[in-house]
Amino acid sequence: MKRKDISIPVEQPKRSNPLANVFDELMDFCRSRSMFMLHYCTGCGAIELPPAMTSRFDMERLGIQPMVTPRQADILLITGYVSIKTLKRVIMTYEQMASPKYVVGICSCTVNGGMYWQSYATAKVLKDYLPVDIYIAGCMPRPEAVIEGLRELMSDIKQGKANSWQRYYKNYDYYLGNQQKLFGDNWQTPTDIIAEARHYNLISEQTEGKHTAVLQQHQKPLEAFEARLKHQQGQAREQ
Amino acid sequence: MSLLDKLLILSLLTVVLALFMGNRKMAGWSVTVVYAGQLVALWMMSGLGYGEISEIRSAVELTIWQYRLHWQFDALSWFFAFITVAAAMLASWFSAGGWAQAYREQGGSIRLFNVALALNVLGMLVLLASGELLSLFIGWELVSWATFMLLALGSMRYAMHYLVYAIVGAVVILAAMLMTYVQVGSLEFNQVAEAAAGLDNTSIWWIGGLFVIGFGIKMALLPFHLWQTKAYAATPGPGAAFLGAISSRMGLFAIVLILVKLIGISRLLEMPISFTFLSARDLLAWVAVFTIIFPTLTALRQHDARRLLAWHGIGQGGYMLLGIVVADDLGSAGGLMHVFNHATYQAVLFMSVTAVVYRTGTSDLNKLGGLFTRMPLSFLAMLIGIIGLAGLPPMNGFVSKWLVYRSLIIDGSPMLFLGTVIGTLGTILSVYKLIHNTFLGQLRLEHETVEEAPLSMVLPMMLLSAVIFTTGFFPGLVLGWVASVQAAVGLPVLAYHAGGIDSANGGLDMIWVVSVLLAGFAIATLIFFSGGRSRRVHQLDNYAGGHFLTADTRYQYSDNFYPGLMHLIGPWYRSSFKRMEQGLVSMLDFLSMLASGWHRHGHPSFYLLTLVVVVLFTVVM
Repeated sequence: MKRKDISIPVEQPKRSNPLANVFDELMDFCRSRSMFMLHYCTGCGAIELPPAMTSRFDMERLGIQPMVTPRQADILLITGYVSIKTLKRVIMTYEQMASPKYVVGICSCTVNGGMYWQSYATAKVLKDYLPVDIYIAGCMPRPEAVIEGLRELMSDIKQGKANSWQRYYKNYDYYLGNQQKLFGDNWQTPTDIIAEARHYNLISEQTEGKHTAVLQQHQKPLEAFEARLKHQQGQAREQ
Repeated sequence: MSLLDKLLILSLLTVVLALFMGNRKMAGWSVTVVYAGQLVALWMMSGLGYGEISEIRSAVELTIWQYRLHWQFDALSWFFAFITVAAAMLASWFSAGGWAQAYREQGGSIRLFNVALALNVLGMLVLLASGELLSLFIGWELVSWATFMLLALGSMRYAMHYLVYAIVGAVVILAAMLMTYVQVGSLEFNQVAEAAAGLDNTSIWWIGGLFVIGFGIKMALLPFHLWQTKAYAATPGPGAAFLGAISSRMGLFAIVLILVKLIGISRLLEMPISFTFLSARDLLAWVAVFTIIFPTLTALRQHDARRLLAWHGIGQGGYMLLGIVVADDLGSAGGLMHVFNHATYQAVLFMSVTAVVYRTGTSDLNKLGGLFTRMPLSFLAMLIGIIGLAGLPPMNGFVSKWLVYRSLIIDGSPMLFLGTVIGTLGTILSVYKLIHNTFLGQLRLEHETVEEAPLSMVLPMMLLSAVIFTTGFFPGLVLGWVASVQAAVGLPVLAYHAGGIDSANGGLDMIWVVSVLLAGFAIATLIFFSGGRSRRVHQLDNYAGGHFLTADTRYQYSDNFYPGLMHLIGPWYRSSFKRMEQGLVSMLDFLSMLASGWHRHGHPSFYLLTLVVVVLFTVVM
């Protein structure tokens, strides 16, 4: 159950303000103690979640609570095998979550395909498509193991180590390439990751590459509706 | 020639000007300017509103068969007149620019609209200026017919519906006046007031009851409310804003005049209803509470924005009457202040809805949504309006409703209080539906290119919104006028200050309330801007159970709003009032059929013989 260290080293910018880190640590502490979890219940692992959430094991004493929409959620819980069709939805949901966000893969199927290894319709290794923070192996892991894994995630967050979400922006080309291999070159989600990376200043050399070039050939970015008095013809979505 | 005469002449001039300008481009603007002139004239009379002068008499007097008709303004008239003229000016301003052009293009007559509006104002001013009961009746008829004219511009059918009610009301009022004349021998206010103390309960029941029914029809008191919603909703937008703001309050004005000034609310307490614990005042209070509850809950069911607002116009009238019927200093101040408050937010709400109709062509709440990004200022106006209508701080509606609640609690009427709270709950739910289905949620494909309403429409809305907020922040501005009205009609006078009231049982200082509220907003803003950078996302970049959304997918529901609540209260909507009305109509039909049978198939020679015999008998005897 130990976390495999697959992270690419991330450079932390040096801060001049000594209090800035204090504040960051406080934020990390608070973050680790209050998490909303979106459980994308894909496979058999889902059945272990109700006991983990309810009175027997009571996840909420750790400050972890289910949430209904990705926009408010912090953790994306994938609880079993992901079929190719499901994976599209999972990626879209992940991209809609607000940073910082954490992915937890439960069950062997998310680690290496598990008993669906030979299936033509499942994505075998979840971390090829999304940056995974914690894997909880087992077929299926018991609620104790789920809780243990989430505690691991909490301690990672508290120490500021759980920043795999930045990897998605910084290595977007890699993830997009794997996604395109499965879904074909037409693959596009509503969220414009490159624009977001630029917006949050998380762009790196690996953000853009040959795969994103394929995307940009057919991408139709969705422009947000701004409150405005006059409608400008030909602007925004029609292009 | 007094100021009052000048005001009435100016009002008459407005009518003439509207007639003369016709469908010209500048018609609306010129009329608006003259309304502004009327407002200035009224402001010159503001001594009435601040209790410096007790009355201003008109120089015009008519004497018919030794009966002297005369006109005068006191604080009560001034208060209502000020709201009337201000509402008319803003409605006219709102209609003058783009709206008038669109109305003309749709085949409407701006001349008729302007004349109808100006006639309404003239009629109302004459009514408000009435010096005794006969001139009150004359003014009443003027207002009724002017209202009919404005309503008929929208829908002739609903206007006729109104007219039937108005005529019944007028006949009832006439009957009440005749009874008063027979009992008292005069129609002068002070003589009637003096004599009323000596009248027995039965006479007061009859006179007061008939007057309340007659004036209550205009005010749409239950169960005489059926005419109002459809008629107001069908009226051209700015007209509806004016009517919704003040027209029905003429009924309240007359009721205050009769019940408070002439009869006295304390007298109503001495009139028990047999076999119950209730007095006449309690009966009236319960009528007011049901006038709050039923129309407000009916508004919940509407899916047309204008009808929803018109139902609220009926419901809010109940708060005013309730406050006045409680008749202590807090309650009556709340009721009277609510007249002003209601006029401001009802006008702004109707204007906002009209702006939406102007741009999108529909007021159907199931066909709108997401217009916030396209019409942000109209959204702001509606937001401020609904906060006022729902009676939440920091808008002015909160102050008047608070006063009414407070007086009910002090008065020891928990059930009445409960009724008003249920009404407020219904109000909050339905105004949320209004703003949600119009401005929030998903923007429809066909509204992609919608723009904000033109400046001529936005400015009056913004002005009214500012008034709603300012009089919520400093309610003392309005409470000053209200206190003079209380003094003029003989109610206990409210002790007020700029921020609200002081009271031994807990006062209200809106300056504090609003400041604390704004400080909360400031803290929230600080937190928002001190966080990380935020990014706007597109509406379609949205979670729908993992589905990909497209612009033609409706993912936000607006039809069948509040299904859970409707499941609970749905069975109570049985159209009982409509059935009652239909029953009355068929009864009348039946009677007229009988009469026509008698008239057509009878024997004239037999009637003639009977008549001759009767006459001979009389002569011989």
